Amino acid sequence: MEEPVIGTRAARWGSYLIAFAITASIFVTALYASNYFNNRRIVEIRSTQDDISTDILSLETQFDLLQEHSCTDVAENTILPSELSSLGNQLSYMESQGPKNQSEIVRLKRLYSLLEIKDYLLMKQLAAKCNLKPVFILYFYSNKGDCTDCEKQGYALTALSRDYPQLRTYSFDYNLGVSALRTLVAIDDVDNNLPALYINGKTRYGYQSVDDIQKILPQLKTLQKAAATSTATTTKKRK
Amino acid sequence: MIGLNIVYVFLFISLYFEVFMLVSFIQSRMERGMRRGILRHDESHMPTVAIVVPCFNEEKTVAGTITSLLTLDYPHDKIEIIVVDDGSKDATLAVARRFESDRRVRVFHKENGGKHTAMNYALAHTDAELIGCLDADSIVDPKALKEIAPVFQNPEVAAVTPGILIKKPENILQHMQNAGYGLGIFSRFTLASLGSAFITPGPFSIFRTSVVRDLGGWRHGHSTEDLEMALRIQERGDVIGNAPRAIVYTGTPRTFKALFRQQVRWTYGFLRNAVDYRHMFGNKSYGNLGLVILPMALISIGIAIFFFVRIVLFAMFEIAHLVTRIEITGLMPRFSFDLFYVNTSALWFIIYVSVVLVIVLISIGSFISTGNRRPPMGVVPFVLFYSLLAPLWLGTAVVRAIFKTGVKWR
Repeated sequence: MEEPVIGTRAARWGSYLIAFAITASIFVTALYASNYFNNRRIVEIRSTQDDISTDILSLETQFDLLQEHSCTDVAENTILPSELSSLGNQLSYMESQGPKNQSEIVRLKRLYSLLEIKDYLLMKQLAAKCNLKPVFILYFYSNKGDCTDCEKQGYALTALSRDYPQLRTYSFDYNLGVSALRTLVAIDDVDNNLPALYINGKTRYGYQSVDDIQKILPQLKTLQKAAATSTATTTKKRK
Repeated sequence: MIGLNIVYVFLFISLYFEVFMLVSFIQSRMERGMRRGILRHDESHMPTVAIVVPCFNEEKTVAGTITSLLTLDYPHDKIEIIVVDDGSKDATLAVARRFESDRRVRVFHKENGGKHTAMNYALAHTDAELIGCLDADSIVDPKALKEIAPVFQNPEVAAVTPGILIKKPENILQHMQNAGYGLGIFSRFTLASLGSAFITPGPFSIFRTSVVRDLGGWRHGHSTEDLEMALRIQERGDVIGNAPRAIVYTGTPRTFKALFRQQVRWTYGFLRNAVDYRHMFGNKSYGNLGLVILPMALISIGIAIFFFVRIVLFAMFEIAHLVTRIEITGLMPRFSFDLFYVNTSALWFIIYVSVVLVIVLISIGSFISTGNRRPPMGVVPFVLFYSLLAPLWLGTAVVRAIFKTGVKWR
């Protein structure tokens, strides 16, 4: 408890400076801490990308040795779509956090796009040789502010991925400027009219709802059945 | 990007002011600690005091107010209680008259003219060396006057403010206000140490009568005569002290509507008086008051409104996205417990620090007046909600001040 106080009002320049120094220190510390955690996130993303890169390389090697291995061994070691999608979510989050580290994030996004393309091509080859029936959606978006429906399209694809965990959705930033991505865009003949979905060899422009996609991709029902069967089989085996 | 830079600049200004107040408080304590014993006041110094109770339709609370004044630990021959019924239409006068049997109590009745006229009426009817006011919705701690009176030994002191707490906070709104009053106690103490108090609150601020007379008595002051009087005292170059242990318990609004009305009046009064006393703003001859305190008080209103508008726009934007998402997916988005997605932007760090500082300042306020080391229980809702509610009355007061609409007490 304090006794009564009186004071003169003469300017306390020393206090002004001390307060300024403390406030500036708090700001610098906050910026440093924020930067530190952002860097840790980037390290985490890089590490995940390295893991996926290694997995793909391993898969490619296994694929090359396919003559000596069964398709089952290879198929069991494919990269889960959830890993790629989780990495994509992390990158989206980093991108939404403002302009800091943007060059590093763009670099990571390019690498991510390359991994997606490699996974896509590999899965297509595996599907052909091992008689697998993976279901692909290539999604082209833009976050330069010129695609009003891209956000909605992202939500619809997220909902589909949740319903069909084995669905392989590959999201590409149309404006990323990766040569492999440019080639993919050219091969699939995707115009800059976004959002665009490349499904079953055909490009569809504009927002496609969950129902729309389910209609144009009937294999999704097979996926769902396959997932249910797989779960049932696993459960049976455990017994 | 420009918007974000403005946010950082405003955050820096807000945080700077909080830090400045804390630094000033610590410096004040250190200086007092070094000079302990020298600054202690002679507690036997007991000048004559007149406490004015201006009333307008206060039949329910005035008896409690007068009773609490009669229990003040102060020599009976040196205190008088002047009840001025300012044209009440209820039984206030009759209730007050019941106390006239006590020699210390005098009751007057006059036509309604506002609080400042009631105070001036009492001023004209007293010879006491000190004159104070106790609003008829407040009660005073018995030791309060003995805490305040000795401070007037210093001839430069023109007024002394008390430590104000809330009388029995009951609902969450009152608990929130109680936390706000804790912050008020800290502010009054620190501002007094900086010689920069610019409000002498209605509940039990005591003035040197001769100074009030020299200044020409109380004025309407845009319905905030307590603020106008303090600014006039500061303009004259006199000192306003603070006695945080002189506890007064005041009634507070129970409903948001009443709180809104009260706060609009206070802010309106500040803004209009700021225009009247604009020569003090940024004027270094008024020291800390002119250079930092008054400009910050004004800027903080703008900052609060700016952040409120930004938060509302952000919330609307997020809700629109959420609705779109739910419409498309049919599901609420899952909350992620992944540490990766915890927001660690510098903005949030600074907001966390700022909020913690506010809690610290409230806790200090609570401690220096009551000795209680725990912050008041309303501190959490205060931090969470008060900063969102305050811009509502701040914005309203700004608009009304621009158009000079005037404000009423009730």
